[in-house]
Amino acid sequence: MPGTTDRGGITLEGISRVFGGGIVAVDQIDLAIRPGEFFTLLGPSGCGKTTLLRMIAGFETPDSGRIVISGREMQTVPPHRRAVNTVFQSYALFPHLNVAENIGFGLRMRGIARAERKFRTDQIMALLQIDDFATRNPAQLSGGQRQRVALARALVNEPEVVLLDEPLSALDAKLRAELQVELMRMQKRLGMTFIFVTHDQQEALVMSDRIAVMERGRLLQVGPVLDVYEQPRSVFVAEFLGLSNIWPITPAPGNTADTPLGRLTIVTPIGNERTAMIRPEKIWIYNDTAAPLDRPNIFRGTVREAIYMGASTQYRVELHDGSIVLALDTNNQAAERSWQPGEAVALEIKPENIILIDG
Amino acid sequence: MSQQLARPIRRALLITSMPVYLLLYAPLALIAVFSFAPAPGGASASAHWYADLLHDPDVLAALRRSLILGIGSSILGTILGTLMGFGLSRFRTRARTGFAAALPSLIIYTPIIMPSLVFGISDLIFFNLMHKATGLFSAGLLTMGIAHVTFQAPYVALVVFARMAGLDPNLFEASQDLYADARQSFLHLTMPVIRPAIIGGFLLAFTLSIDDFTISYFTAGPGSTTLPIYIYSAVALKGISPDINALATLMIATVIGIGLLQYVFSRQKERHPMPRTGD
Amino acid sequence: MSALTGSPFLQGTAERAERAARALRLWITAGPGLVWIVIFLILPSAILLAIGFFSIGNYGNPHLPLTLEPFREVAGYSILGWSPDNIETILRSLLQAISAAILTILLAYPVVFFIVAQPVALRPLLLLFVILPSWTNQVVRTYAWMELLGPGSALSHLAQTLGFIPPHLGLMPGVFAMQIGLTYNYLPYMVVPLYAAAEKLDWTLVEAGRDLYASGTKLFWSAVFPQTIPGLLSGIILVAIPAFGDYVVPTLLGGGKSMMIGSLIASQFLDTPNWPYGAALTIFMLVFTCGGLIVFRVMSKRLGTSEGSMI
Repeated sequence: MPGTTDRGGITLEGISRVFGGGIVAVDQIDLAIRPGEFFTLLGPSGCGKTTLLRMIAGFETPDSGRIVISGREMQTVPPHRRAVNTVFQSYALFPHLNVAENIGFGLRMRGIARAERKFRTDQIMALLQIDDFATRNPAQLSGGQRQRVALARALVNEPEVVLLDEPLSALDAKLRAELQVELMRMQKRLGMTFIFVTHDQQEALVMSDRIAVMERGRLLQVGPVLDVYEQPRSVFVAEFLGLSNIWPITPAPGNTADTPLGRLTIVTPIGNERTAMIRPEKIWIYNDTAAPLDRPNIFRGTVREAIYMGASTQYRVELHDGSIVLALDTNNQAAERSWQPGEAVALEIKPENIILIDG
Repeated sequence: MSQQLARPIRRALLITSMPVYLLLYAPLALIAVFSFAPAPGGASASAHWYADLLHDPDVLAALRRSLILGIGSSILGTILGTLMGFGLSRFRTRARTGFAAALPSLIIYTPIIMPSLVFGISDLIFFNLMHKATGLFSAGLLTMGIAHVTFQAPYVALVVFARMAGLDPNLFEASQDLYADARQSFLHLTMPVIRPAIIGGFLLAFTLSIDDFTISYFTAGPGSTTLPIYIYSAVALKGISPDINALATLMIATVIGIGLLQYVFSRQKERHPMPRTGD
Repeated sequence: MSALTGSPFLQGTAERAERAARALRLWITAGPGLVWIVIFLILPSAILLAIGFFSIGNYGNPHLPLTLEPFREVAGYSILGWSPDNIETILRSLLQAISAAILTILLAYPVVFFIVAQPVALRPLLLLFVILPSWTNQVVRTYAWMELLGPGSALSHLAQTLGFIPPHLGLMPGVFAMQIGLTYNYLPYMVVPLYAAAEKLDWTLVEAGRDLYASGTKLFWSAVFPQTIPGLLSGIILVAIPAFGDYVVPTLLGGGKSMMIGSLIASQFLDTPNWPYGAALTIFMLVFTCGGLIVFRVMSKRLGTSEGSMI
């Protein structure tokens, strides 16, 4: 059990929430979030991630389970008595208050004296570079500026935990990338726990220390970004996070397995696993004539589609049996190492890069 | 869009719509012109009839009653209407459908769509029966006020509801999230954001009360002649006279003044429009 | 799949508690106003409707036994036999309401498109100027026309010299004056919904139509008019229903006591009381009102107009 020194830590034990009509939004979730980490809840819309976040904030009450924030049991405590602040997807800036008043709202409600309020508000506005807008109304701000105000309004209270509900989803790609970096910088600098909800896997990969992938109210996998990406434990996680090639497998003699592509050599004999996964960037691509035929798992095929993405090119290769393999090649070689649709190529799938998944 | 229409069409629209504006104001302007009729024996335009009004105890009493009725009913109508508009917008469960869910809307729209004659007669009979049964509700300013509140509250509710519908529902959660308890949320968020709607609703309620004749007429008692009833009786019995024109002119000026005030007020509100949310 | 299957938590207790809390708050806030309307309007109008099924007492008040006699009276039967007066009054009211709707439509279209053709900032003000007169008291608005149309007025003189009316008579009282009064009183109720429709007009459709149709008239009927139909329907309802049951206009401008159904009803409660008969007339009028509303709802549903921002 977390002690009282666990400032900014969150423990969820057996949290469930059922909505009208028996929809189980959140299903028996156990989760421990460490103090000061950037934790991301990732999942498709309707997976229960926002409901989970709202229960931590106090806007919803769980049907069962315990929510422990900074060592104190909180599941029945109303939102205004939780040292947790939320950045809403819609920003929810108060339309009748200007930027500085919006940011100072939380301090004012806690009865903090005007002078200190001003000091802290000024400080956070400077930090987020919104001090020029202090007297503007929210309606006069751009999307990115509103986003910063919403963030400042949460951070100024120095909460133990900051909850962010898809806060960047309404911004354009460039601004989003900028704010992603800024959010990470703020979080590291202030040392607060950030719980970030998103359906954007790229965003999750870029920003998080650890992520939890959710689907239909359950946590499928929790871990550091690298682990979850490199070692997905389910087909859903593999497909949701990044690109993947996924094949059903059946055991074959020795360190091999049968797949729709043909026989695949793997590192160790398979056990219960019934699926093989490999990331496109882990597949090597050769001119058909230069295929290293002395090595295992060489498959020949024809390029059907080549998507040039600057730093890399993504190929859709059709093998002779008709199955499609996705391969990603970094464009760090001379121009001759690139292929056009229709060209014959050979693919190498290294056994150590194949991930086996149960079920 | 204004550029979409060709110049000849725009000119035709101007030429055809100006007479309509003229039609709308000509009768009112005529009343105002006639109200400056010469004093008896005089020949030139005068403010005689206005001076006359100030010394007419019946007119002054009717004015006093109209103001008491208008302000009193507007206060209660605004309170009840604001609570309805706010509550229905905040606390009604959206998911449910069917008769039970639609019932509040049906009730609120009843006074708005009910023909005023039916409204007035229903209350006439109701108060009459109630008076016979209980001795209370004798026809007068009180019964008129009750009827006025009944049609004012729904309009105020609509104004407040529209304001609430334009707000991000997360605002209320944001204030809770920022340490405001229920009382603080009400004082520092709810009240300030719906204040324009409440003031607008009150002005609307007041103009509705002053504007109403039919419902007032059927719920009025012997001692509760308000300005509209006074004018109606005078016109129906004696025909038009310059002092009635003067009185009507003052009423027109007041209502148009309130209307313009309300407009200016809503303009001011538009300078702080709602933030547009994500997508 | 779900770990909750068979677990003791599948009750949604939190959901139920939240719903109960919301319901309680809804009752505390909206309850008083709703109860007020029920007590002081819905209950009274139910009583009024019930009275239509009573016999008439000595003082015109309702008495047992229950009867359909008042409705026979509405149809024109009385102790003196059948008379066409009631039917005429009802038809006249209907005709007046319909022609008021038509006249307001004809006046409203140019005004609405004139406003829409102006810069956005100017439009609310121009609309306000259409609405403002309707905020003045109905008695004042109506009696203004007594001055304009009375026997001594300039307009009446003109009509006399042109031979439209006999000398020494005015354009008022009468059906003509009532028509003008109703049209004048209810014009803003046509302009507002039409304006709402015209402001949302999809001009790309009009642009597309410009390539297809040569004449402006054809363009209007094929690309503009259909888009204003929802507003037009609302306008017809907002004008025709209150015009049908209007009380002030027939009383001040109509002259006779039973020129329209509104004045006929009122006289059953004010002059020589006959509550059951008046109530039966009211029921008859409300049937028309509800019929109109139902037609409107069906038509606007078919046209797919949304009422999302309404309560």
